[in-house]
Amino acid sequence: MNRRVLLISLVAAAAGFSADPLPSAESVLDRYVQVTGGRQAYEKRKSEISHGTLEYTSLGIKGSITRYAAEPDKYYAALDIEGLGKVEMGINGPVAWENSALLGPRVKTGVERAEAIREGNMNSTSNWRKLYPKVQNAGVETLDGEECYKVIMTPAEGQPVVGYYQKKTGLQVKITTVSTTQMGDIPVELIASDYKDFGGILEPAKVIQKAGPQEFTITLQSVEANPAIPAERFALPDEVKKLVDQAPAK
Amino acid sequence: MTRLILLFAVAWSALGQPRSQLDLDSFEKVWTTVRDKHWQARPGGLDWQAIHDEYRPRVEKAASHAEAQAILQEMLGRLKQSHFAIIPAPVYSVIDDSEGGPGSTGIDARVLEGHAIVTGVDPGSPAEKQGVRPGWQIERTHGIDLDPLIKQVGSNPAIHELQLNRAVLARLSGPVGGTMEAAFLDGSDKTIELKLNLTAPRGVLSSFGNLPTQHVWFENKRIGSTAYVRFNLFLDLPRVMAGFQQTVESCKPCDGLIIDLRGNPGGIGGMAMGMAGFLVDKPNQRLGTMYLRDSTLNFVVNPRAEVFTGPVAVLVDSNSASTSEIFAGGLKDLGRARIFGTKTAAAALPSAFERLPNGDGFQYALANYISQGGQPLEGLGVTPDVVVELTRSALLAGHDPVVDSALDWIRRQNKP
Repeated sequence: MNRRVLLISLVAAAAGFSADPLPSAESVLDRYVQVTGGRQAYEKRKSEISHGTLEYTSLGIKGSITRYAAEPDKYYAALDIEGLGKVEMGINGPVAWENSALLGPRVKTGVERAEAIREGNMNSTSNWRKLYPKVQNAGVETLDGEECYKVIMTPAEGQPVVGYYQKKTGLQVKITTVSTTQMGDIPVELIASDYKDFGGILEPAKVIQKAGPQEFTITLQSVEANPAIPAERFALPDEVKKLVDQAPAK
Repeated sequence: MTRLILLFAVAWSALGQPRSQLDLDSFEKVWTTVRDKHWQARPGGLDWQAIHDEYRPRVEKAASHAEAQAILQEMLGRLKQSHFAIIPAPVYSVIDDSEGGPGSTGIDARVLEGHAIVTGVDPGSPAEKQGVRPGWQIERTHGIDLDPLIKQVGSNPAIHELQLNRAVLARLSGPVGGTMEAAFLDGSDKTIELKLNLTAPRGVLSSFGNLPTQHVWFENKRIGSTAYVRFNLFLDLPRVMAGFQQTVESCKPCDGLIIDLRGNPGGIGGMAMGMAGFLVDKPNQRLGTMYLRDSTLNFVVNPRAEVFTGPVAVLVDSNSASTSEIFAGGLKDLGRARIFGTKTAAAALPSAFERLPNGDGFQYALANYISQGGQPLEGLGVTPDVVVELTRSALLAGHDPVVDSALDWIRRQNKP
């Protein structure tokens, strides 16, 4: 059923798309929302639990990833990586945090915090207007033989994000940006492919992420739409809460 | 057997192609590696293509292999950076420590004053059972006299003490289940000949990605009221980090903490930051910065919930490398630890060794690392605050002068 709805959506989107040789960035982004399920599908999605794997191919390291998200501002992800143990990260309202056996707990601040909150936004695809006050279509580039619109999205805080959207399908196939991390500004490239229907929304089942010297592949296996997630799932771990309590009041 | 195959392969290769072609292929391999893997897009600030155009004709005209080798070394010298070197084939064969095997007699050794000296014997190991003691001099293993080998390798300026020690340690190993015939000089310089069993090394087998499976051990103990911790690798993160955390958390009443990184060649770089978090209570501190071609990584320390704030001594030697140097150098620069022992390996980065088509070895560094004090560790290493050399006489007398020196300092810090 979902697949049929999506196919119809794709045709409708293709038919409704402007013949302008360089459409506005807004129309490219709206088309992406449309071809991945439509605004209504995103609006219906209030919470989700997703499972996947990640693999650092060149290092031979594998792991699993489980993500929980709930509107409007709750996010928790747990990565279990062979040989490194567990890495947790979360967002609860204005607090963005991370905790791992390797590096210990910390609370993100500044641009890093703003980026984390933006990326943790459950429906970031459909919420692009809220997340990126300025968008610009910078032209057409060919990626793997396919023409793509290159859209520069500038957030209120942080580095611009450049998205590449196939002319033919409207799907986002690549993102580049410079990510602000505790260790420094790191160039990031994401290659998205293998779009699949996960509960009425098309998502890339495979994302290859190059971040500085590291490259890994995330494979999305399942997404449970609108599950009931207890509030405790998003509660700050004790060691993180301690850091938040210690932080000087702003 | 492995060595025979290696030599045969080189000989066959040399017969199959003219010597000059092998040198040219080696030149291209070296030049391309630097172009593609150096942390600077313009390696050493040089126009690397122009370097190619300048040096290739010279290699083409080289009258001998030695001349070609010297030209390659000169080209790398233009980088004015450490850890870029050509190592002549005979020396490379000696330092190629892959020739040993996983089997161990339980002996740890270092080259002290030109001789291979036993610096430690694992408890319960075949060497301990047969009475081998720290301070004994190892004269011969597997039928090879070690003094001439040490002299040959040690005389090459491109070879660091780390490689020399590793070459010696490789000759103390072999296949598990095999034996090692060895001759020692005991405490009274009497020759002792032993046949020692080679068994699985100390520790728990640990794997991390594509790295070879390795035995990792972790020990902690109290020396009086001072906590002492030692581990052989920054690997097996869940167990080693938990052991370190447990040591720190149980150390509230300790008068100090000794972290012994002698012989520790490194491992997962992030563990240096993670462990420092148990010792540094101020936020936003860094151990140093790593410079790669497309990014700069700050080695930031996140203070843990429980932080040890007493005196910390870190023990190092020439076999302390990579993550050990990042950890020791960073804590030294932050003023959080006092460093005891001898200068570290000066190999903070995963500088790689590869065999070239002409049989020579090629060493190159992949990144640059600057410790928090502004000093590059690659090529320079960490110089201890208190230089303490191991000596054969101290080892024979049952002393570890490096530990003794650290204990003495900790006791002085706690005097009212």
